[in-house]
Amino acid sequence: MNKISIPIGPQHPLIKEPISFIIDISGERVIGGEIRLGYVHRGIEKLAQSRNYIQNLHLIERVCGICSHIHTTAYCYAVEKLLKVEIPQRAQYIRALMCELERIHSHLLWLGILAKHIGLETVFMHTWHDREMVLDVMEEISGGRVTHAVNKIGGVRCDIIPKHHMLLDETLTKLKIQVESLREVMINEPSLKARTKGVAPITPEQIKAFCVVGPIARASGVDIDLRRDDPLPPYNQLSFSVVTHQDGDAWARTIVRVDEVIESINLCAKILNNLPAGEIEVRTKRSVPTGEVIVRAEAPRGELFYYLRSNGTEIPARLKIRTPTLPALSIVPTQLSSIHVADIPVILAGVDLCIACADR
Amino acid sequence: MILEILFNLIVFPGLLFQTLCGFLFEWLDRKMLARYQRRIGPRIFQPVADLIKLFSKENILPKGSNHTIAAALPLISLASVTTAGIYIPVAGFSPQSFAGDLIVVMFLMSVPTLAYYLSGVVSVGIYSLLGGGRSLLQFFSYEVPLIIALSGPAILANSWTILEILQAQKELGSFVVFQPIGFGLTVIGLIGKLKRDPLDIPKAKSEVVAGALTEYTGPNLAFWRLVMNVQAVLGIFLLINLFFGQISNITLLRVIIFIAVALVITILLSTLSAIFARLRIDQLAEVGWRVLVPIGLLQLVFVVLLRF
Amino acid sequence: MKWLMSRMGLIPAVMDALRKSPATTAFPKSEVVLPESYRGEIEFFAERCTGCGLCVRDCPAEALFLEKKSRDHYRLVYYPARCAYCGQCEESCRNHAIGNKHRLVKAKTNIEDWIQILKEK
Repeated sequence: MNKISIPIGPQHPLIKEPISFIIDISGERVIGGEIRLGYVHRGIEKLAQSRNYIQNLHLIERVCGICSHIHTTAYCYAVEKLLKVEIPQRAQYIRALMCELERIHSHLLWLGILAKHIGLETVFMHTWHDREMVLDVMEEISGGRVTHAVNKIGGVRCDIIPKHHMLLDETLTKLKIQVESLREVMINEPSLKARTKGVAPITPEQIKAFCVVGPIARASGVDIDLRRDDPLPPYNQLSFSVVTHQDGDAWARTIVRVDEVIESINLCAKILNNLPAGEIEVRTKRSVPTGEVIVRAEAPRGELFYYLRSNGTEIPARLKIRTPTLPALSIVPTQLSSIHVADIPVILAGVDLCIACADR
Repeated sequence: MILEILFNLIVFPGLLFQTLCGFLFEWLDRKMLARYQRRIGPRIFQPVADLIKLFSKENILPKGSNHTIAAALPLISLASVTTAGIYIPVAGFSPQSFAGDLIVVMFLMSVPTLAYYLSGVVSVGIYSLLGGGRSLLQFFSYEVPLIIALSGPAILANSWTILEILQAQKELGSFVVFQPIGFGLTVIGLIGKLKRDPLDIPKAKSEVVAGALTEYTGPNLAFWRLVMNVQAVLGIFLLINLFFGQISNITLLRVIIFIAVALVITILLSTLSAIFARLRIDQLAEVGWRVLVPIGLLQLVFVVLLRF
Repeated sequence: MKWLMSRMGLIPAVMDALRKSPATTAFPKSEVVLPESYRGEIEFFAERCTGCGLCVRDCPAEALFLEKKSRDHYRLVYYPARCAYCGQCEESCRNHAIGNKHRLVKAKTNIEDWIQILKEK
């Protein structure tokens, strides 16, 4: 059969943000693919070199919409390390609480998108309705659904008052019931299993060769999680379990993410119970002493890496961000060889694309 | 005589009546789907508004496509489907009928699938070609079980005329009691013919953007949507006539029962749409030829034995 | 019973959805309730402003602009079109001259409303 190239181009119903895949197919089988990035490149690292540290905080929040809080958390920890200040314990716990809430809503978003692309629109609508509960709680605490602006250099901006405690308890209870029934549906629904089981397995050697991180790596049996291996302050006092699976196909990636949501709900409840009393911020100087620092954080999609170098003024000298979507995209052409055309949405959705993160 | 035929073709069970039923079907289907997904859903005149809006737009096609054929294909499909509709009795009223019209109706209702493939080829574009090819592949997998299932009632009633099959059910009882498997296979075949979830492989939004109709706009697309709606309505009417028959002799009761069964079948189709994911084309071929055809043949053997 | 329910896939969820009311609201007809801490348009208290310029220095979107002729003659201009509603100006101001209205209706009918002069002295 002759070969035709279909463009899953910058604009397509399959992808949320502009990215170009050019996929070669022959009949109903895929033989290869090529990726082109850069449609959402905004030059954030260069823009950060001409704004002061406080302005950069709000710039960094807008790198990505789904994982905005973890970017600002990593940046704040980097600047605080250079300033050599230690933020109060209550602020650390509030930052971790928002991180876990963000992980829950990011995974629920991903689940809805996967269901929509294989034709199960009902699961898409129900999952996004559950996600609204989490977004409403975040809006009550911080004031914004997507750009929370909870962090500031030296602590957090908003406190958790008793009214928020009650709302959080109620929401977490309801959410746990919904997610567990969703998990039952995902495990037993025959058409979902038929579409995702055995599709594009990745071996642990390929994971190590391409440096893939996050739930994709954990679904192939590679046991890495930065919240346990290299923890930022409150995580070294909290205990939780890391979810892994052995198969490495699209089915395993689904189950790992659903189980991670349940684990995050439990972790949120633990954080709320152990919330220490005290201040939520410390005052800091505006100009940062010379030095360079590296901070790694566990975003919903994997390991986030921040490098910051300062030269003693109020404006940073160099900021480098490496987001977890980039290695996941580099393994997509390998996954695309010898599958059916109908499996393309399953693979592209399984990568959990966040192109704004990848392009910066 | 000519006036009576024209009246049948255009008004009563012809174009206007079928269009009206098509609007009601589309509204009920979209409203049920929306309620299953916890949304509000469209209002009653939404399908009419969509059609009027499409008629007010322009016909644009890519360079290299043949505008005449692209405009003629939906009209040919609409003509064949409407003609098939005048031989299908509505609540017992059958204006036209001749011996062997079940076969003619089955053939005329398959013309839109071929026209769908041709419209994919004639509008030059990579997604249209892929969508058109997939629709023919799907056609081979559901059409054979459908024809086997539809021959069941014909054998049991000893005739290939729809009106006579209808009247034979008055003495023998509704055929759905004797051949439930045939009923199930016809519902599956109807889902495949209408290209609905779980068999909407030709127009899967995430792989081929809209299938063979990706490049269509304006009045061409309006006529295609009309063809899909009318095909759905006629499929449901055929199902009711072949498997449920005429339950009583009083006209008012016949009409009410007909409407009620049509509503129940529409709700059944919407529910099946909401709970299943889309199949892959090789899974459909496997299920179609390894599972559906054998049980269809089994049902046929049972029906033949029942005749004797 | 539980085994049967688990084999039925999505049917219980779908039947449950029919019982409950829709989760979406028909927007212009029905009201949308915002939480109390919603971060919306800024509210300016002109009598507390001293023209120090801390808010201008920290605004990430460069939506505030101070023209200072002397210590007592200054003009603070605000461009709502550039504002990112981050609340950093409220944090930076030492005299608490900037607050928050907790609502956001961005459409304006007058083109002059897109340049607001917050204080002129």
